Amino acid sequence: MKTGETILSVKGITKLFPGVVALDHVDFDLRVGEVHILVGENGAGKSTLSKCILGAYVPEQGTITLNGTKKSFKSPRDALKEGITAVYQEFTLIPYLSVAQNIFLNREYRKKNGLLDINRMEKESRELLKLINCEHLNVSSHAKDLTIAEQQMVEIAKALSFHPQIIIFDEPTATLSEREVGSLFEQIRKLRASGIGIIYISHKIQEFTQIGDRISVFRDGRKIATFGIHEKSTEEIVNMMVGRNISQVYQRNPNLYSGESLRVEGLCDYKEKVKHADLVVNKGEIVGLAGLVGAGRTELANLIFGIDRRKAGKVYLYGEEVLGKITPGKMVRRHIGFVCEDRKSKGLALKDSVAWNITAVSLRQLFPHGLIRYKKIKNVAESYRERLKIAVPTVQRPCKFLSGGNQQKVVLAKWLSAHVDILILDEPTRGIDMGAKMEIYELMNQLSLEGKSILLISSELPELIGMSDRIYVVHEGRIVHECKRGSAEFNAEDIGAMMLNVYQDAEGKAEWDE
Amino acid sequence: MSHLLEKTKESRAFYSFLGLIILVIICSLTSSDFSKIENYITIFRQASVLLVLSAGLTAVLILGGIDLSVGATAALVGCTCALLLKAGVPTWAVITIGLCMGAVIGTLNGFLVSIIRLPAFVATYATNWIVKGLAIVIMNGQIIFNLPESFTFIGTGYLFGQMPVLIVIALVVVSICYVLYQKTTIGRDIFSCGSNLEAARYSGIRVKRAQFVAFIMSSMFAGLAGLLMTARLNAAEASMGDSYGLNTVAAVVIGGTSMLGGEGGIIGTMIGSIMLMLITNIMNLLGISSFAQPMIIGLVIIVMVFFDSISRDERKTVRRGVAIPMNVQKRKDDIG
Repeated sequence: MKTGETILSVKGITKLFPGVVALDHVDFDLRVGEVHILVGENGAGKSTLSKCILGAYVPEQGTITLNGTKKSFKSPRDALKEGITAVYQEFTLIPYLSVAQNIFLNREYRKKNGLLDINRMEKESRELLKLINCEHLNVSSHAKDLTIAEQQMVEIAKALSFHPQIIIFDEPTATLSEREVGSLFEQIRKLRASGIGIIYISHKIQEFTQIGDRISVFRDGRKIATFGIHEKSTEEIVNMMVGRNISQVYQRNPNLYSGESLRVEGLCDYKEKVKHADLVVNKGEIVGLAGLVGAGRTELANLIFGIDRRKAGKVYLYGEEVLGKITPGKMVRRHIGFVCEDRKSKGLALKDSVAWNITAVSLRQLFPHGLIRYKKIKNVAESYRERLKIAVPTVQRPCKFLSGGNQQKVVLAKWLSAHVDILILDEPTRGIDMGAKMEIYELMNQLSLEGKSILLISSELPELIGMSDRIYVVHEGRIVHECKRGSAEFNAEDIGAMMLNVYQDAEGKAEWDE
Repeated sequence: MSHLLEKTKESRAFYSFLGLIILVIICSLTSSDFSKIENYITIFRQASVLLVLSAGLTAVLILGGIDLSVGATAALVGCTCALLLKAGVPTWAVITIGLCMGAVIGTLNGFLVSIIRLPAFVATYATNWIVKGLAIVIMNGQIIFNLPESFTFIGTGYLFGQMPVLIVIALVVVSICYVLYQKTTIGRDIFSCGSNLEAARYSGIRVKRAQFVAFIMSSMFAGLAGLLMTARLNAAEASMGDSYGLNTVAAVVIGGTSMLGGEGGIIGTMIGSIMLMLITNIMNLLGISSFAQPMIIGLVIIVMVFFDSISRDERKTVRRGVAIPMNVQKRKDDIG
């Protein structure tokens, strides 16, 4: 097969999930020897498309044609047989198996006596690793002893062992350093040159021109456009992804309140993830916490809310110190709420109904004598369903059937129904669609108008800058900068530099020297 | 009325109840002795002890834990109380002491699980041996019988002429548990912990308290069951809890309470207990050898739990089916 020929063609693919159309009549094609980038916000449909191609999802409608013949994959095994494989962002290696055993997982070679033929697996593993210039890796060492970049190379070697025609990379650079990204790209280019079709999913716009040949932009389950890598500017791509101007998205009214609500002094934890954090949140204020993944923002929030034990430091609420051990129960009774990062594992009881989840925190406020009345629970849940426009036919439906955006609204309703005055939001808009995002921004603005305080943790800088009155920048567990809305450095570029702790300007330098 | 029906269908106990009715019909057809009032009373009487023994266990399973020490706890409480009664301690004091012993064992379990953070399976298995060992030590191999009538009344007496006290006590236990599990905030906390422990913690629910409450209830009701067993048999020996074995867990699970936590209730456990006793009863009536009975009980448990899980899956698919078309329709309209 020659470079430039279509290897895979997808027509009219539609995939439905409860309450959401994940893919809406999407067409897509992949050519031999190209890197085709899929781009879009979370929930736009790019991962769903790749999972349909991989056979992990069975689409409701549409056809997948591979090398001119129609295929219908019922499972990843079917797709694998046709040479379609993937390298995921989160690794699937088993920590206590050797590199060779990981590569040949589930299709181990056996000797005649039925025992594993480790020599043969190690020999072939070495050959595979050589293909991607990783012959230095020891095939008998445990996967857990490798660096993340090395683990990824093993994943690629594993993918190659299937003799693939198509490899899907799902955000492969999310956890790599810049140097490691360079060598990964080199390997991808080599694979491309060998005639493999590559689908590359990424959020990092700066990578696109380095690695891609064509781009397809996705939004809300639909494919917006496909074009050559140099045909459109970065700005045009972003506009296609978002589908509207950024300025319309974030609405902030000026703060009419004064006085402090939350003050944190010298907070430290036992894991050395948070080091002497000081911060203040005022009434009616939205304060952002910026920082890289792993900078210690979530850990700081966990300390404030009492999820983790503090080693040192004080927390004040409305000027009054919180004495004794801080526990979530204590903070809830003092009207603090915490919308945590991982809504599925920590935010919701997925198999419980919407109504139970909404009233999970406020139950004791609603029924101080301890006896529950279902009707009241239903009424409270209904009122929040209306207020937050939670799309669910009945509040008795279990939360697992809701879309990400609606689940997040249930989490917010849970705290609102408990009448919290201070709300800590950790990545409140992660993985939800644009419509729900805007509703959450609107809600945040509304809450601040009511005099409530919000501490916002987000990895999306535009969101932080759009919503916050002030931003604290966290770097390696320390708060290294504070910027106010309206000041010169209140922009993505400068705050981005602060997050890496490489920011210096006239003033910053002066502060630094002190 | 239709609303009520809808609600009953939603409840998991509804399917266990259907199973029970089918079982009763089958039994009535196979044996003419089965349908006699006296036989029903025998079944309910036997089910009562099992039900009380599993009543608190239901809370532990809803919490997502397990309590393997209920049988041993019942035995220890039964034996201790028999000894005390023989020593001349008044009945009311013995009953109080018995319940308190249960509470102490429950506190130990709660402590091991929520403070020391041992897996419930291991912790309660260990407690099971400790408690059983204690019973063996204090009994020293003997069997105590001929207990005062004021005590055996709770196991063999009748209220209002016809109603066995045992069944009345079981019904009171069911009512208490029903209110506690379904209608109180602490009951709801136990459900929340079972559904998602992390989410419960992040919601400020006092998780440890919920764990303690569940384990204490489990052991207290086990203690009560021990009293009932002793009173009913008019005798106590160290191994008297053994015959219940994991029948307690089986009764709870057959009643639709999930071993993964977060779902279930006492009504289901009541139905489960009756079903288990009913099967033993019909086997005796049909003259099946007692050597073959355990095998059949094992098979029946598999069948019943299997049907319970199928009925749940069916309901899920129906819900999904409704959810999709509605929203797709809406989306299409938007697109125009």
